[in-house]
Amino acid sequence: MGSADVENIIDARDVVKSFGNVRALRGVSLTVKRGEVVVIVGPSGSGKSTMLRCLNALERIDEGSVTIDGIPLDADSRHIHRIRTEVGMVFQSFNLFPHLTARKNIMLAPRLVRKKGETEARDEADVLLKKVGLGDKTDVFPGQLSGGQKQRVAIARALAMQPKIMLFDEPTSALDPEMIGEVLAVMKDLAREGMTMVVVSHEMGFAREVADRMLFFDDGRLIEEGPTAQVLDHPRETRTREFFRKVLK
Amino acid sequence: MVEFLTQQAQVFLDIFAYLIPALPTTVAITITAYLLAVTLGLLVSLARLSNRRLLRWPAKTYVDVLRGVPLLVQIFFIYFGLGKVLHLGRFSAGVLAVGICYSAYLSEIFRSGIGAIEKGQHEAALSLGMTRFQVLRQVILPQAARIIVPPAANEFIASLKDSSLVSIIGLRELTRAGREYYSQFFVDFQTWLAVGVLYLILTLGLSRIVAWLEKKYRVHGYGVAR
Ligand SMILES: Nc1ncnc2c1ncn2[C@@H]1O[C@H](COP(=O)(O)OP(=O)(O)OP(=O)(O)O)[C@@H](O)[C@H]1O
Ligand SMILES: [Mg+2]
Repeated sequence: MGSADVENIIDARDVVKSFGNVRALRGVSLTVKRGEVVVIVGPSGSGKSTMLRCLNALERIDEGSVTIDGIPLDADSRHIHRIRTEVGMVFQSFNLFPHLTARKNIMLAPRLVRKKGETEARDEADVLLKKVGLGDKTDVFPGQLSGGQKQRVAIARALAMQPKIMLFDEPTSALDPEMIGEVLAVMKDLAREGMTMVVVSHEMGFAREVADRMLFFDDGRLIEEGPTAQVLDHPRETRTREFFRKVLK
Repeated sequence: MVEFLTQQAQVFLDIFAYLIPALPTTVAITITAYLLAVTLGLLVSLARLSNRRLLRWPAKTYVDVLRGVPLLVQIFFIYFGLGKVLHLGRFSAGVLAVGICYSAYLSEIFRSGIGAIEKGQHEAALSLGMTRFQVLRQVILPQAARIIVPPAANEFIASLKDSSLVSIIGLRELTRAGREYYSQFFVDFQTWLAVGVLYLILTLGLSRIVAWLEKKYRVHGYGVAR
């Protein structure tokens, strides 16, 4: 388990997830290869966030199976815990810890979960902050950062756990337009370094530039998938075409 | 006139000399009961916030019952009822009664404080691989403290005053000492004035500490606009 010989680092089969009588996912299968960058698009309420959240057990699936790097996501809490340490997540609303400085936000999980020493965790946090272009913000609280800066700290915080997979749920949609670029730039760097990424985003430029594959969700189903350029330029399904016509105008 | 005043001063000195040895008991009951209340209150609030109905329902009943029955009755029940079965002494029974009663009030304060923290905080921490306990201890409680500390500290003051009810089961704390002094020397006005003054000194002292805590938790770093 958890060895490099598993080709599909994410393997989700026939995932069904309901909230009361809302069927958020109606049987979705998706696989992601090691190092692949996948972008998920689709209308509001189509189940994109739910899908991501099922991949690190923030939601428990009703039916189907999810396997991450060979580890089955089942009721075993040790499996859930291991998967969460290997899968980083970045949220639309950043969710930085407001009572901790940027550096301490990043250090917290490595200290508690990876049991790293104070100095090691601190040095790594500082390296990561530099990497996302915030080397001068170590001792600043989230309340004093702009949206784009917050999101970059959030990415650094997830990276500090040295995850094998990064999930992004609309990382730029809460940002002012002028801040989107700085966050996408960090994500592009990550993709170039070979990180496996699943990104829910409607930033088509970003998708075209770095995504190997594009997945289109509608009404709790995976309607269409394929190489990014092909899905963008020659969508097979009518629903995909209609969606792009509305989004891209 | 001078004679009257010196005589009165002597009376008060006498009373205070009698009362002050009972002060540590009042303080001890209050602190022990409060620690018990914080522990129980936190557990009850977590049960109430749980998504398991089997935890939520008993916790809600616990709070409703304890808030609906006068503390004095709870003291009688625990000392004469439970106490006889479990062989509880006066001190343990008093502490248990006040502690349990206040755990209900504190659990409501904890519940609203913890409940006020965005769900995203919890999710971000979980997604980093932290355990539920780590999330609570390192992420949720430090933020909730800002909301919890002022009202919880007020409950501490209230529990100090309510500890006087424990005098009813014969535990020799401040109020009990006042009653004893009165029944020996039959000075009522001065005795109860002195008892009142001692409670007031304690509560005013505590209020100052509460005000300081409020300021400390307000200033602490992240009060800045998001
Ligand atoms: N916790 C929840 N409780 C109840 N219903 C939920 C919950 N989470 C999601 N849903 C519902 O499930 C469906 C799918 O939601 P999801 O958030 O996955 O959509 P989405 O594709 O991410 O949409 P958006 O683009 O608006 O973020 C929606 O109908 C939503 O209302
Ligand atoms: Mg969403």
